[in-house]
Amino acid sequence: MGFLDIFKKNKAKGAKVVKNVDAKADKVVKDSGAKAKAAKPAVAKAPASCAAKTATSVSASQLPFSDLVEPGPLVTYKHGFGTPPGGKIKLAIYWAAACGGCDVSILDSNDGVLTVGEMADIVMWPIAADGKEKDIEAMNDGEITVSIISGAVRNSENEHMVKLLRKKSAIVVCYGTCACFGGSPALANLVKGGKDELLDYVYRKTPSTANFQADYHKDKAVIPQVSTTVSDGDLSLPVLYDTVKTLDQVIDVDYFVPGCPPLQESISYLLKAVADFVYGGVALPPKGTNVGVVTRTLCDQCSRRKEFRRITKIVEPHEIDVDPELCLMDQGILCLGPATVGGCNARCTSVGQPCRGCYGPTAAVQEQGASALTAIASLFPVIDDDATCGEGEIIDIMSTIKDPLGYFYAFTMGKSLIKRSVTEKGGK
Amino acid sequence: MSEEFEPIIVAFCCNWCSYAGADGAGVARLQMPTNFRIIRTMCSARVDPEFILRALSKGADGVIVLGCHPADCHYIGGNYRARRRIALLRLVLEQYGFDAKRLRLEWVSASEGEKFQTTLSGFVDTIKGLGPTPLVKEGQ
Repeated sequence: MGFLDIFKKNKAKGAKVVKNVDAKADKVVKDSGAKAKAAKPAVAKAPASCAAKTATSVSASQLPFSDLVEPGPLVTYKHGFGTPPGGKIKLAIYWAAACGGCDVSILDSNDGVLTVGEMADIVMWPIAADGKEKDIEAMNDGEITVSIISGAVRNSENEHMVKLLRKKSAIVVCYGTCACFGGSPALANLVKGGKDELLDYVYRKTPSTANFQADYHKDKAVIPQVSTTVSDGDLSLPVLYDTVKTLDQVIDVDYFVPGCPPLQESISYLLKAVADFVYGGVALPPKGTNVGVVTRTLCDQCSRRKEFRRITKIVEPHEIDVDPELCLMDQGILCLGPATVGGCNARCTSVGQPCRGCYGPTAAVQEQGASALTAIASLFPVIDDDATCGEGEIIDIMSTIKDPLGYFYAFTMGKSLIKRSVTEKGGK
Repeated sequence: MSEEFEPIIVAFCCNWCSYAGADGAGVARLQMPTNFRIIRTMCSARVDPEFILRALSKGADGVIVLGCHPADCHYIGGNYRARRRIALLRLVLEQYGFDAKRLRLEWVSASEGEKFQTTLSGFVDTIKGLGPTPLVKEGQ
């Protein structure tokens, strides 16, 4: 059963409870207790029961993907709804190795975000609110109802904070592509020398820093160290890891919201699920639900006309006049649509930009890059002398795709099978 | 270690040519190294690059894909698809840092038991020369 089906099923029940809440908060506890089994503990004491509820829903459904994108009203709980009957819940929003775009996308939920203010106390949100590590540490385990974490895990601070939030939270939402699949930060896994090579390049070799080092640190280039002694004592920085990990490779995660950043619809669904639960005691979606994705690929949502032409020349969108109606792949632009799960309503392709695959693979495959590779390689036409030519010619043809690994795995390196670069040691 | 390195090799054979070729090699009692494990697929184009990556991620030292000769595919153009994918996948593996020789594509027809033997023996030797897979298992 999908996330949305649960909503539909509980709609009548939920709506009744909601009405009651509006009329008289006290009555709800009784009403919902009598009418909806699930609601009884939830309204009385939301945070503690959250954990139990997510735990039971795991066994109830092993379906990791569900159809969520459906037109219609998204947020039923409008501004002015008041404090939930069980008191405000606690909400933490954290960024690990992320750019901050995910945090901004949370604000995209328009007036829905006002519901958040009424429903929850934001105990931590580094980009917008106060709330320090020590405040979180002082909390009881499971005291935070929902933690929304964006970004991959690439240093010791990221790891410490996400583990801490996991301990203190009933529900952890893996928010955005970096948290779900590694995203752009995970491309650092392809640097053979690991963190040392990365730091060396960034602080010594990039043109801007090279000049800076030459001007100001002629004697010795300055590279950040884990521990530095100054006159007032020791200063420390987090330890950078060689391999960037996705959030669910480090901690247990309840829900996934892919996207770079996730669509406004995704956050609205998430918000509605939490609001339904907090105000109406409606059961939460099953653990492992991917919020905001459909079961089919992006091509299914893309309105461009597909002619299934063969690729004879690879072009970039800026090199040609992009036909607004025709499939981008038919025009020679490499698009990851066939390998990417739908849910974003084909935003990029509708404005003439190819899909880069930020929503990740479909449920049927693990390797988004391998799927894209399969689809795109098949689009190269069979040439006249294909039966007689050698493998070298085929490699020449396929070499017209520049940086295939970086292109096909732009967002999913953290979840790929090989995960990071390797070094041949050679035989004897 | 004095023991000789014995590679683990996964061989994907298409049902119509190479698997029959392997059968022919067996019937003819041709001597072959025992390092490879055959997985039969209906066509070389059935071999999703994900299968190959999964084999490598699980510790295979080499992967060989065997299909019908060009213009000989049971499904007309499957082997052309396969050779494009494998060519592209080899480029991807090189970017990861693998030696591209760890992945090989060869054509073996149903009557070529001997070619099957020489191909597999040669591939085992190649992988022995390359040494164990460079993939570091998690936790090591």
